[in-house]
Amino acid sequence: MSAAKHSQAMHFQARAGKEVRNAVLQRALQKAKPLFVGKRAKGIAALSEDKLEFEALRTACEDIRNRVLTDLDVWLAIFEERARASGAEVLWARDGDEICRHVVDVARQHGVTKATKSKSMLSEEARLNEALAAAGIRPVETDLGEYIVQLAGETPSHIIAPAVHKTIGDVEALFAKEHGRPVETRTSADIPAMAREAREVLRQHFLSAEMGISGANFLIAETGTAALVTNEGNGRMVTTLPKVHVVITGIEKIVPTLEDFATLMRLLPRSATGQSISNYVSLLTGTKQPGDSDGPEKTVFILVDNGRANLLGSAYQDMLRCIRCGACMNHCPVYFSLGGHAYGWVYPGPMGSVLTPLYTGIENALDLPHASTGCNQCGSVCPVRIPLPKLMHRLREEQVERGLRPWSESFGLKAWALVAGKPALYRWVMRRAARYLNWLADGSGSIRIFGLAPGWTAGRDLPVSSGKTFHELYAARKRA
Amino acid sequence: MRLALYVTCLIDLMRPSVGFASLRLLEAAGCEVVVPEGQTCCGQPAWSAGNRGLAADLAKKAIAELENYDYVVIPSGSCTDQIRNVYPQLFADDALWGPRARALAERVHELTSFLVDVLHFSAPPAEFQGSVTYHDSCKGLRALGIKPQPRELLLQVRGLSLQEMPDCEECCGFGGAFSVKFGDISTQIVDRKCESIASVGADAVVGGDLGCLLNIEGRLRRRGDHHTRVLHIAEVLAGGGEN
Repeated sequence: MSAAKHSQAMHFQARAGKEVRNAVLQRALQKAKPLFVGKRAKGIAALSEDKLEFEALRTACEDIRNRVLTDLDVWLAIFEERARASGAEVLWARDGDEICRHVVDVARQHGVTKATKSKSMLSEEARLNEALAAAGIRPVETDLGEYIVQLAGETPSHIIAPAVHKTIGDVEALFAKEHGRPVETRTSADIPAMAREAREVLRQHFLSAEMGISGANFLIAETGTAALVTNEGNGRMVTTLPKVHVVITGIEKIVPTLEDFATLMRLLPRSATGQSISNYVSLLTGTKQPGDSDGPEKTVFILVDNGRANLLGSAYQDMLRCIRCGACMNHCPVYFSLGGHAYGWVYPGPMGSVLTPLYTGIENALDLPHASTGCNQCGSVCPVRIPLPKLMHRLREEQVERGLRPWSESFGLKAWALVAGKPALYRWVMRRAARYLNWLADGSGSIRIFGLAPGWTAGRDLPVSSGKTFHELYAARKRA
Repeated sequence: MRLALYVTCLIDLMRPSVGFASLRLLEAAGCEVVVPEGQTCCGQPAWSAGNRGLAADLAKKAIAELENYDYVVIPSGSCTDQIRNVYPQLFADDALWGPRARALAERVHELTSFLVDVLHFSAPPAEFQGSVTYHDSCKGLRALGIKPQPRELLLQVRGLSLQEMPDCEECCGFGGAFSVKFGDISTQIVDRKCESIASVGADAVVGGDLGCLLNIEGRLRRRGDHHTRVLHIAEVLAGGGEN
């Protein structure tokens, strides 16, 4: 798996430990969380104004996505044929390296020296910016969050809010340096001015880039169209101004019809930002035709596998329904304790805890499926009803089946199961344990340092009982 | 009607008073309660760790132990979810154990949901002078739909006032082995729960799952809050002595 070489997911524990102690990051996350949660809740509640009902819509969206996945090859063939008929070229990429080769080839064919980009997580999977730079082509991120992250030399920490981990002070420092001006004191009231500043810089890039690179939220099979859902307008600039437009997207992003797209759009923006519809919805089909006022002379679709086809027909196929709204991470207590970088690869939060092991190798991301309290806040907000905790659980089972768990854990569970299988032995062990805990608490009612579970008492006390178990007390009472 | 009270491992070991309170409460509601002698662990730790084989072994033991009662009542949403929702999954393709798992699943209930939804019982024999705030445990809330039942019962307790905290449905960060494996993440999560609790200033925080409550109590005390009581709902509803 070529994706594995860039993954840091095996260092999740250590990275997580660092992030929970990062006070600046924690402030940024605590500010963002209620906004995400509150906006989505309002957006979903507002469905009733249109006489729509969330659960019914969810079922409709789930069905559309399942229908596509059942016959994915057929829908892809239809898309390819219709896209070609409208003048676009369609390329296929097995993995990230192949994405990079295709993009660099296309760029070279057209003498491209600068490429503007609107948000594309696929380009993160491929680490495309590095490949472009190595080929002498300058990539310029134009989504405001992506622009900030690129200036900082980082990767996105959230799939729809890439710079959610940055504070206004961080951004001001980056802008001052890049835009060649002194640092000023900024408050949230200055955000519009800072956005304008970025816009002015980016405008020059929009006008001078020879290539635009975007993702696609959906590919519509019946028309060979890429659908793009954005809020800043940069997507329009990237996809219409340069003479070449490259769309990079996963093979699972197909929907059969425009009608299906409209249904999914009922839930995508609401689940992501709470909006009933995003500021911009672009449907991009083919190349510039005689009489068109704008549009690229050359359109290239790069349809990417990078691990997706392996999930078809597997226990994890449900994951391919994902429409990348970000609601799972926005409602995840673990994500909001760490931010996205701790997860170590492209996708953070619950979706990442499933996708990273599947796309980079289960053995390369052992912690992620366990980094969940099982609360299922993600599963209850997912607009296409992906059972995220169930998928994480299946990954845990696969780790056990493949002997990837630590010896101590397997031994501990076996010992526990052996004891629990024999009630008399179990009662005896529990009585000893109760006495032991009570002795450790030394009359204080709680333990402050517990060697058997140091992770617990690092942050909290362990309240204990009076030293006798329920079953012991109950038996004594019955005898009395 | 013969009813089995299933006392969870955590209650057995860490807070027996919750078991006795459940017993008193069910008897006050007119039930004949049996505590099956051979009961041990439902197997959830093995299941959560991904060890299907061990989880199935313990599930078979629990099914054999509990299947001969009209009802099985558990003062925990988490263990109820294991027996009600996970056991049938574990034996989905098993001709022998599948039907037995499904039959038991239909008769197992979380304590407050049993009192309200099955018995339509609404007169807990208790008095509590003070205010409480209720923490919705994840498995109870999202896997079993337990939300109005505990509140309905609490509101019947003489002297008690219920003050909802913000984000009462947010996870407390316990997650079983999660809280030990990822102690610092868990602490970060329970800190936010502690802040929610502090923001309403209730005399007690009440919940239906001892795991969450130990996590919350442990963090509250470490943060220096020694006055907010942390109680299982059975303890509040049953009133009276410690045991």
